[in-house]
Amino acid sequence: MLEAQNVSIKYGERTAVDGVSLRAELGRVISILGPNGAGKSTLLRALNGSLAPSRGEVLLDQKPLTSFARRVVARRIAVVAQEADLRFPVTVFEFVLGGRYAWANASAWGWESERDIAIAQTAIAETEMGEFASRLMNELSGGERQRAVLARALATEAKIFLLDEPTANLDLAHQATMLRLIRSRCDKDRSAAVVVTHDVNLAAEFSDQVMLMKDGRTIAFGEAREVLTEELLKQVFDLRVLVDAHPVSGAPRVTPVHMQG
Amino acid sequence: MAKSSHARTALGRTLAVCAILFVILVVAFLISSMVGSQRLPIAGTLCALTGKSDCALTGEERAILFDIRIPRLLLAGAVGTCLAAAGAAYQALLRNPLAEPYLLGISNGAAVGTMTALVFFTAYGWTRPVFAFAGALVATLAVYQLARGRAGATPERLILAGVIVTTFLSSAIVFITTVMDATRIRSFTFWLLGDLSGTSSSLLTVAFGAVAVGVLLLILNARGLNLMMLGERDAFDLGVEVTRVRLIVFAAASLLVGASVASSGSVGYVGLVVPHLVRLSFGSDNRLVIPAAAIAGATFVIIADTLARTLIAPRELPVGAITALIGAPLFIYLLKRG
Repeated sequence: MLEAQNVSIKYGERTAVDGVSLRAELGRVISILGPNGAGKSTLLRALNGSLAPSRGEVLLDQKPLTSFARRVVARRIAVVAQEADLRFPVTVFEFVLGGRYAWANASAWGWESERDIAIAQTAIAETEMGEFASRLMNELSGGERQRAVLARALATEAKIFLLDEPTANLDLAHQATMLRLIRSRCDKDRSAAVVVTHDVNLAAEFSDQVMLMKDGRTIAFGEAREVLTEELLKQVFDLRVLVDAHPVSGAPRVTPVHMQG
Repeated sequence: MAKSSHARTALGRTLAVCAILFVILVVAFLISSMVGSQRLPIAGTLCALTGKSDCALTGEERAILFDIRIPRLLLAGAVGTCLAAAGAAYQALLRNPLAEPYLLGISNGAAVGTMTALVFFTAYGWTRPVFAFAGALVATLAVYQLARGRAGATPERLILAGVIVTTFLSSAIVFITTVMDATRIRSFTFWLLGDLSGTSSSLLTVAFGAVAVGVLLLILNARGLNLMMLGERDAFDLGVEVTRVRLIVFAAASLLVGASVASSGSVGYVGLVVPHLVRLSFGSDNRLVIPAAAIAGATFVIIADTLARTLIAPRELPVGAITALIGAPLFIYLLKRG
């Protein structure tokens, strides 16, 4: 589906991503973990075409991503990031409806159809934002805005989700809801998701595969069990951790060790 | 569950709003055609405007109406449309409710272009709107480049960029005026502040041509602008061809500002007041804001021009002075609201 082949991205002299390969498979959730500045978000940006790799390429269905029109890419790949600029008043509903842009027919004004509206409403309901639909985006809390951003991504009907720290600013309940939503999309609709996150344990619970990155390179890639080991995590984060199994799910449970002795 | 009434009737709402604003425009136009240093009778004027020949108007009144007033009002309307629509577009593109062609120095860019054409290519009338367009475009690009920073075009950077471009171009204007002879300088100074008295049919053609092309291009890209207002990255992710939309909108807006300045000098604050009032009343959806601002802008300048003609009749004020008197206090209010 969506694949990065040996991608390197440079910002002037600095190499942000160095020879990383990744394949987003249908029905799978891949988490990318690593310290700040490891190149995780940069890699994500390359995956949807907003950044051009200096080496390597990104392929969509085995064809170069650059060969597709913007609109086509936007129908296939949705991004959940944290950058909405909200200087103008826009309601949650209008915001989520914006996700239908790529599907608008060629009519001059591009007014949304009944179907567009229904899809936007479903997305709002799925993210439990129904009560906020007529509220202005800049009146919401950070977490509520995050959910609106996810709703917009869901409204695009894209099959591939690229999420950049989607659970930051969310309370525990909504963290779980958001990841469960993504998980069920992947399981039921055969969507694919690549999630950049700082939450190691959530990644362990919800991902099929985990990639550890440091200094732009892939340190390890595989199932959570194989990758989230005490040695590898110490290598990547310079932090001593304990890894055991979650008592209920059995997924790796990572506990940092802060105190000496 | 959200009521879908907002989006579902959005098209209907847009058309209704535009219809109402158009009616107001027509009323303002009619009243303005009768008001002036010489008042025209109501019944006679209305009769003449419907095309009848046997109306209660003297030959002289007829001449005033059709040779002076109507062309002037048409030009005023065109200028208002150009500046209001361009203002709405700049605000959306630069993501700043305070972006305005006059304040950002874009009108000055067009003025420099026009003056250059007038002074150095006097015989070729067509150079004026063309150079005005070029001047507006150069100023737009300069402001855009200056305002971009790592944090994006923050309001402060944008205002600063506007100040730099405006003052630089003002010096250029002064430079050019020193090349002119004394008699032209005086009329030029008046023109620079917005002068709608120099109407001619070729001027009107240029103005209306620009209105049609420019406003149409903006409306066609209104939906893309809606998304670009939320950030260029977001817009890109959602499928907008950001570079292309930016180019088209800048070009269309420069066309509008260039045509307006080439015909009637620098009229300020229209691009600030009108789009803001439209957004305040009807929301930020550019599919409504742009056409509504276009219509309301025409009304605004027609009314301002009527005031300019009548306040110290028989002498005239530059229309730019009236729009500034109304617009500057509003600008201050907007700044304070943050």
